[in-house]
Amino acid sequence: MQKNQIFENLKSAVVEGDGDKAKANAEEALAANIDPLEAVEMGLSQGMEVVGERFECGDAYLPELMMAGDAFRSAMEILNPEIKRQKKEVVSLGTVLMASVKGDLHSIGKNILATVLEANGFQVVNLGVDKGALEIIQEAEKANADAIGLSALMATTMPAQREVIEALVELNLRDKYRVVVGGGPVTQEWADEIGADGYGQDAVEAVALLTKLLRS
Amino acid sequence: MIDFLDVCERAETGPLMTERDFELKVFIPTLREVVKDHGIRYDSDTPVPSDDAAADAVHQAAVDFLARVGVYCQDTNRIIQFTEEEIQDAVKTAPGECLTGEGKDASVFRVRQPDDGTMARCHVNWGTIHSSQEMAINIMATNVAHPEAKAISISSVTNTVRGMRVKAGSPLEMIAGIRAVRVARDACRRAGRPGFPMMNLVPAAAAAVTTIGASGPQFGARPTDGWIIGIISEHKIDYGAMNKVAYLLNWGANIGCQGAPSLGGYCGGAPGTAVVNTAYFLLGLVAMKANYHLCFPIHFRHGCCSTRDVLWVVSTSSQAGSRNIPIPVIWLGYMAAGVNTKMYFYEAAAYLLAATTSGADAVKMPTPAKGVKIDASTPMETKFGIEMVKAASRLNRQQANELVIKLLEKYEPQIPTAPEGDRYQDCYDVKTGKPGEGYLRLYEEVKEELGAIGIPFE
Repeated sequence: MQKNQIFENLKSAVVEGDGDKAKANAEEALAANIDPLEAVEMGLSQGMEVVGERFECGDAYLPELMMAGDAFRSAMEILNPEIKRQKKEVVSLGTVLMASVKGDLHSIGKNILATVLEANGFQVVNLGVDKGALEIIQEAEKANADAIGLSALMATTMPAQREVIEALVELNLRDKYRVVVGGGPVTQEWADEIGADGYGQDAVEAVALLTKLLRS
Repeated sequence: MIDFLDVCERAETGPLMTERDFELKVFIPTLREVVKDHGIRYDSDTPVPSDDAAADAVHQAAVDFLARVGVYCQDTNRIIQFTEEEIQDAVKTAPGECLTGEGKDASVFRVRQPDDGTMARCHVNWGTIHSSQEMAINIMATNVAHPEAKAISISSVTNTVRGMRVKAGSPLEMIAGIRAVRVARDACRRAGRPGFPMMNLVPAAAAAVTTIGASGPQFGARPTDGWIIGIISEHKIDYGAMNKVAYLLNWGANIGCQGAPSLGGYCGGAPGTAVVNTAYFLLGLVAMKANYHLCFPIHFRHGCCSTRDVLWVVSTSSQAGSRNIPIPVIWLGYMAAGVNTKMYFYEAAAYLLAATTSGADAVKMPTPAKGVKIDASTPMETKFGIEMVKAASRLNRQQANELVIKLLEKYEPQIPTAPEGDRYQDCYDVKTGKPGEGYLRLYEEVKEELGAIGIPFE
């Protein structure tokens, strides 16, 4: 099979959100002696880009993003060992730890951002919901994260965003991480008040913000 | 017919699964299949459809979906499952009405039908935050005093206690919850309606212990008020919610299940969101033993309920529910634009037309500025909402559809950049509680404009 056809198959497996097909295509790529990093860049990432664009213009929603992300990860299970064997690395824009803060059980906004970040070349650790300040910081340390994204959908859980920043200060870790906040009632004023590095009104804005913050 | 203890047992014994697998391997693919199998289609040219068979198909899809997916319990990582027979039994034995309030303020909250011709129940005020307790009382009392008002969503009052910001699950949340109930009952007394039903107890209470603690009769709460228990989006519950059910069932209080499916979230587009919103009516009956329901399908990106596709979801799922599931539902809409803007009135008119003609049993006066801005509500929105409900009750779905299309032309392109509008103190005299001349003039202008496009105000 032609190299370009294999890239196209990898791309379409991601666009269709078909994990089994993505795995099979990744195996095919390795069997054809294709550089695994090229398979990621020219195939899988292209597929994520298509889904990301569809999402931005309202033609795709969270399910399509999640299925595409899942297919991407399935293919990476096949490609990663070969990437490591060749002592290479997938280029990442940075690692972002995402969590909904203590008391907040809402996950949709956070999961949308996590998936859009992955689609844009970030590594994401999606910690889940209802996470306390210390747990978030411990996990960020463990993941060697560059940034922490904190989601709060209720006015009464917004103070927990402040707690994470205060805990980072107390632990002398504040300068180590870029901290961004978001969620329905969260505003730029709130982000400024609690000393966050930025606020994203939606996933697209948050990706632009994190790209800027982690490049600076 | 299963009881609540069966639900508790299934939360401990149902299939074990990670939350991510539930989302990716159960919820998303099943919803896609159900939408396809039942032929649910969104037509952007018809935000308020009049097709009874299509509405019934959404109901059938919702039954099928709930029977295949169940509800995920976050505390046990298990799926609580229900058979189709159990769901149908819950529908057959659903109460169809709910007794609310006490004394001369008591009323029966009943189900309506599409193109009903009767007035939908008007549910006033908002669970939003104010900068002072006095302002919250004044606004609540004015709203409650409206003769057409039948129930209230009480305000969270302020977001601080002695200068400290209220935090979910903390003792301050308990104090704020008790204060909200106490202050709201005082506002009802001030309005001369002490037995008025408060149907959103307890606002902003994240912890079950706050809801239970603030429900003491010594603070002014009664079993004939209404307690809201939220489904976690999507199709998830936890022991916090189930603890509230256990308490309220033992007390004999009204239980309101709250569903807020996100269009663009796990539900995908409009067809999936309509199916899930309808499935939530069923889930409230079967899992939470609810005797009323509160819902707000909402757009994931714009944070409002006035987009064309969400209006279609509101109309379609209201028709599906009111034709097939006898549980009274309160429809709550968040508007993108805020107080003292023409856009707010256009959005509110569209929302109330879609909901009322589609069989909404009760409509809450639409919430300005997405419900997130402090002090962003006034009694003027209540006055407008009630006049709109009266007008909409004289129309059928087809007439509403034509009007909603005209209204969408006026505001749809502005949704992403909607004006956040004024605060109460910017457009009302805080001392007298009267609207300023500017807001009154805008209100009259808008009513004239809407009357000219065919909305039959009295």
